[in-house]
Amino acid sequence: MSTRSEVLKHLNLVGLLQPALHVPQHAPYPDAIDHSLYRAYLRSSHDVGGEPDVPIAWEEKQEEQWELNTFATCECLGWRGVWNAEERRRRQNVDLGQTQYLGLPYYGRWLLTAARILVDKQYVTLTELVNKIEEVKKRHEQKSAR
Amino acid sequence: MSDKHKEDEHGHRPPAPMVDEVSDFEVLEMAVRELAIEKGLFSAEDHRRWTEYVHSLGPLPAARLVAKAWLDPAYKKLAVADGVKASLEVGVDWINSPPTGFGTPSDYCNLRVLEDTPKVKHVVVCTLCSCYPRPILGNSPEWYRTPNYRRRLVRWPRQVLAEFGLQLPPDVEIRVADSNQKTRYIVLPTRPAGTEGWTEDQLAEIVTRDCLIGVAVPKPGIKANAKRTVHPAVHPVHHDH
Amino acid sequence: MSKSQHDRTHHAKKATGKGDPQCFKGEAGPAKFKVGDRVRIRDLPDIFYTRCQVYTRGALGTVAAVVYESPAAEDEAWDNTDKPEWFYSVKFQQKDLWPDYPDLYANDTVETEFSERWLEKA
Repeated sequence: MSTRSEVLKHLNLVGLLQPALHVPQHAPYPDAIDHSLYRAYLRSSHDVGGEPDVPIAWEEKQEEQWELNTFATCECLGWRGVWNAEERRRRQNVDLGQTQYLGLPYYGRWLLTAARILVDKQYVTLTELVNKIEEVKKRHEQKSAR
Repeated sequence: MSDKHKEDEHGHRPPAPMVDEVSDFEVLEMAVRELAIEKGLFSAEDHRRWTEYVHSLGPLPAARLVAKAWLDPAYKKLAVADGVKASLEVGVDWINSPPTGFGTPSDYCNLRVLEDTPKVKHVVVCTLCSCYPRPILGNSPEWYRTPNYRRRLVRWPRQVLAEFGLQLPPDVEIRVADSNQKTRYIVLPTRPAGTEGWTEDQLAEIVTRDCLIGVAVPKPGIKANAKRTVHPAVHPVHHDH
Repeated sequence: MSKSQHDRTHHAKKATGKGDPQCFKGEAGPAKFKVGDRVRIRDLPDIFYTRCQVYTRGALGTVAAVVYESPAAEDEAWDNTDKPEWFYSVKFQQKDLWPDYPDLYANDTVETEFSERWLEKA
């Protein structure tokens, strides 16, 4: 897919990512936010115990190599003092925000969080990260379809 | 010709994927790992060692802990009072076994063994994420990590356990342990009838991972978790040995 | 350009050979609660991060165990580890958490851990 067609597809798709509370006006006036809504928007996304949900089929999953690599990366970052696990959980399970929390795969969040800590603690500039991603992409001649 | 390459109604075929196609996640994973190593945050050797450590983990030590506890009341008392000390006897040193020398970053060093009785059945969840006693049990199953399990087990435990095939009389206390902080739990189920005179090995064989989480109970002849759909990986973990 | 300096060695220095939470032993001072105490879970603001589950807030429970000393998760999540607290395992009757929990299963419970700041004497 060309960059332009990917961009156009992206613009249509992000429009579908709405706050789960369907409201007619985004960025509402302050007086439209009562205490319950304030609490809802500030909720820690990971705190799901007791929320209603439907029965699902309980499944196992075969692990991807990249998932195992991600897990080892995150633990090595903890081992070598870049972060502690609680910092990781805070970033990975709450800071990412409600949409990414429920929308991304489990290890997708671990991975994004590992990338983010490198930039946040200035071990890597965002420029370096972006360039490295490009370099890796070129190395693997990635199709943009996935 | 596979379905993937069938012509649609306009006579077009979808583009054939490259043999070695990588996903956005795989690209980012490589980028992060390479940068971390380039910047000296950890070494390639560190990463390899951690991968090896993960490969060494599984549910067998926890199963043996339970079998030992069934055979030795004094060991059972120790297991309930001090899970970390009891783990040493099944070859798991929560502090020194991991490469760090101070425990794993994510699993800490505070195992609590939850003893089932005829009147109390334990079952474990981490409603906030998916905390799990990896050093003695291996990695968590996919269903344990789902928001669905984490939402429902703590409020509708009997419904969820019924979905796992476990139903208990109303007077039995179902105690849900929500591992939300540094403690990690395994369940010590009650020893089933029909195992009189069994060896430790025979007993350990029927203590499955699902029994140790608490969604199943050990039964003579049942040596594996219940059969479930396994979602396949696109590029599964390859084992070098 | 300003560049923050991060000490990547502090936890390894503190915890090697000891483990975590063992490495915080003795740092929290006297425990405020003991086994058997009836406690209510405080509804402190959970802005930005909490590991005190909302489903427990305002509920009445019983201290089942005094478990270990550690920085509260809310502080450890920003690597602020100077003020460890005592942690407690608290048990709740399901019927005290959920108004619609069936009377038939009156014995059912939930047990979970709290750092001391989240508890007040009931």
